[in-house]
Amino acid sequence: MSLPNEQIEYSRKDLSPKVRQIGLLLFALGLIIAVAAYLTEPIRASFMNLVLLMFLLSVGLGSLFFVALEYLAGAVWSTPYRRIIEIFAATLFVLPIVALPVYFNIHDLFHWTHLDGVSKDIALSSKSGYLNVPFFTVRIIAFFLVWILFYSLLTRNSRKQDAIKDQLLTKKNIKISAVFMPFFALTVTFSAIDWMMSLEPHWFSTIFGVYYFSGTVLAALSVATVAIILLNKNGYLVKGIISDHYYSLGALLFAFINFWAYIAFSQFLLIWYANLPEETFWFLSRWENGWMFFTIGLAFVHFLVPYFGLLSQPSKMNPNRLLFMSVWILVAHFYDLYWLIMPTFSKGEFVFGWMEIGFILLGFGILVLIFVVFSKNKNLVPVGDPKLKRGIDFRL
Amino acid sequence: MEVLDYSKELSVIEGRPALREIDEIISKPLNTKPDKKYFIALLVTLSMVGIGAISLGLSFYYGTGLWGNNNPVGWGLPIVNFVFWVGIGHAGTLISAILFLLRQKWRNGIARFAEGMTIFAVMTAGIFPLIHVGRPWLAGYLFPYPNQHSIWVNFTSPLLWDVFAVSTYFTVSFIFWFVGLIPDFATLRDQTTNKIKKVIYSVTSLGWRHSNRHWQHYEMVYLILAGFATPLVLSVHTIVSFDFAVSIMPGWHTTIFPPYFVAGAVFSGFAMVQNVLIFIRKIFNYEHIITLDTLEKMNKVILFTSMLVGYAYGMEFFIAWYSGVQVEQFTFINRAFGPYSWAYWIMVSCNVLFPQLFWIKKIRRTIPFMFVIAVLVNVGMWFERFVITVTSLSRDYLPSSWAYYKPTLVDAGILIGSFGFFFTFILLFTKTMPVVSIAEVKAVAEGSQPSHGEH
Repeated sequence: MSLPNEQIEYSRKDLSPKVRQIGLLLFALGLIIAVAAYLTEPIRASFMNLVLLMFLLSVGLGSLFFVALEYLAGAVWSTPYRRIIEIFAATLFVLPIVALPVYFNIHDLFHWTHLDGVSKDIALSSKSGYLNVPFFTVRIIAFFLVWILFYSLLTRNSRKQDAIKDQLLTKKNIKISAVFMPFFALTVTFSAIDWMMSLEPHWFSTIFGVYYFSGTVLAALSVATVAIILLNKNGYLVKGIISDHYYSLGALLFAFINFWAYIAFSQFLLIWYANLPEETFWFLSRWENGWMFFTIGLAFVHFLVPYFGLLSQPSKMNPNRLLFMSVWILVAHFYDLYWLIMPTFSKGEFVFGWMEIGFILLGFGILVLIFVVFSKNKNLVPVGDPKLKRGIDFRL
Repeated sequence: MEVLDYSKELSVIEGRPALREIDEIISKPLNTKPDKKYFIALLVTLSMVGIGAISLGLSFYYGTGLWGNNNPVGWGLPIVNFVFWVGIGHAGTLISAILFLLRQKWRNGIARFAEGMTIFAVMTAGIFPLIHVGRPWLAGYLFPYPNQHSIWVNFTSPLLWDVFAVSTYFTVSFIFWFVGLIPDFATLRDQTTNKIKKVIYSVTSLGWRHSNRHWQHYEMVYLILAGFATPLVLSVHTIVSFDFAVSIMPGWHTTIFPPYFVAGAVFSGFAMVQNVLIFIRKIFNYEHIITLDTLEKMNKVILFTSMLVGYAYGMEFFIAWYSGVQVEQFTFINRAFGPYSWAYWIMVSCNVLFPQLFWIKKIRRTIPFMFVIAVLVNVGMWFERFVITVTSLSRDYLPSSWAYYKPTLVDAGILIGSFGFFFTFILLFTKTMPVVSIAEVKAVAEGSQPSHGEH
């Protein structure tokens, strides 16, 4: 059964070379600073490298989650720009390269890799069945393969549909998405535990995976929103993406801002209230020695500002305001990851300088280049998707 | 593979009933005299209430020694029942508020009933804290107001936050439910020829005239209430979870509790709504309004929340081991293999294993199967609260004070009474108010939407 989307007004345009130039500029600048950082302060640089890795993982894995979610929920409002989200899911491919420098410096980042230290510590040696370098390596490789597998399956079917317009492919993708979801839940959780929670190997929190999940969704969604608004403004997308679509994107961002705050607050409140020393030290190292302002700032940057910035209807419908808030949330996610990771490095004092800015630039540069590379010779709209027409006609 | 046509939106209502038919079929139970079966059902539920009342009366006369509670298990079935019923009350507002914000049209056929159920479930849950205060007639002191005795509540206790959360939730759910009923009461008012009914419906419909302006206000209020109710859905069970999680009891103090409790509440609430709707759609001939597709979607939500709950069980177990804290590790091993292992495995199999059958489409769409699975879900969710409450307390830090908790007949009587109380209200509801929203069903009936030509 095939249905041509006859009334769709879309013709593929090559991306303006300016986008590539901006991407290259950010990337080159970021890379130079990152290399300089590695030469001057290698440990600090590897920690920032880890922040960058988790940021790109958020965008890549979160985007793949979104593609799967659209299929599973049968949503139509996001179909006209699902391809953009698929393209950002390709960020998963750069993860091994970004992870390599971290992996080589694993001894400087993760205390549990020091076997002599672990053997003297009862708490750590009891969990060495999980926290050991070989198993850690197997896990990250296995997770990566799972992501690439589902990425290939989902996007291949989606692209094939552009040409043959077969509804069966939608059905297949729905099934693949259903199978992907449990894998997603487990891999996102254990990635968060492996890369971030185990930085403080004594600390534990059952909600940690959910916390990181809320951030991945926000990162992926805000990257997509930025791209969709800019591309739509410049006529790269199908005609008919209007404020109703923007509203939906903004509303989802707003929902997940609240979800993040809910999860973050739950984790904090329960640990603060119970006041057990084996848990509270994690928050104390984010409170003492100059970290206090950064921690209070997290609540403002990651919750209060985007909350009020997205609360009203016009702020979700107006592309300029939504664009601003999306960029803000993206930066806020960096802020959040910095808050999760860096206190392990600089327990004594709060640090932020040119190195950190370099890695942020590098992250944005990689995202722009990912889009440039993976959008080449591709329709930016899933023209063969049976839900496309309904998606364009979507009204609140 | 059989493929749906994804390019068209499927109607959530089967057939193409005329708007008048919708009026008639939904209001029919209100216009006909209840039959014998109805009275038998009512007799059964009222007898259950009687059993509960006797058990409670005995408890008040002789004291809580009649219950199974002992030292160290100071929290027994009453708190288990409280959490269970609050959980049941979660599906209603989730369906009416969150699914409304997510623009899920299939909710329209089931929202009214689910909202009603929320209200009755929260009322049932409310019984238990009232018993708990010992002198229910003094429960007013739970609200912090300046008084001559200078008696103040303990603001740092989550049990007090429960009072605020549950009463706010009840109030907003009630308003939400009532606002939705206004247009339907007006329809009934215009329809009825009975004078007494006319007066009642005239009062309750608040002068509604189905005018365009009324609808505009209505839609606005409904949207705002939905936005307002959404955080409340999360907050109620979050705070119920705080009752446990802020303490330093192993097995209770774990950070995943808030979202885990909310997911579990939605899980059990959906199972209960599905269970009762299966009867209602059959008895009242609503099969084309509450379609098999709708039930299938509910089953998908049950499957999804089952996996969320399963994720939480797994996470708790993993982190208990990972934490390296001996008491944590012991608590979880004790849950799975200790004296309460029977309860633990009932919980795991009913909540995580059986719902996995919903991966199979055939089972999602076969009434007897889905009914049994949803019953098991509610059994499992009751046992979840039992496992959490009892296993942690019965073997806490001091092995010399360990004791096995066994509920008594009086405990069971109170539980039976709570079911009777709940289902009595459900039965009364089905014969006094439209259990399906007339106006909302009309809004999703085919042919009622504005179309852009073409059709």
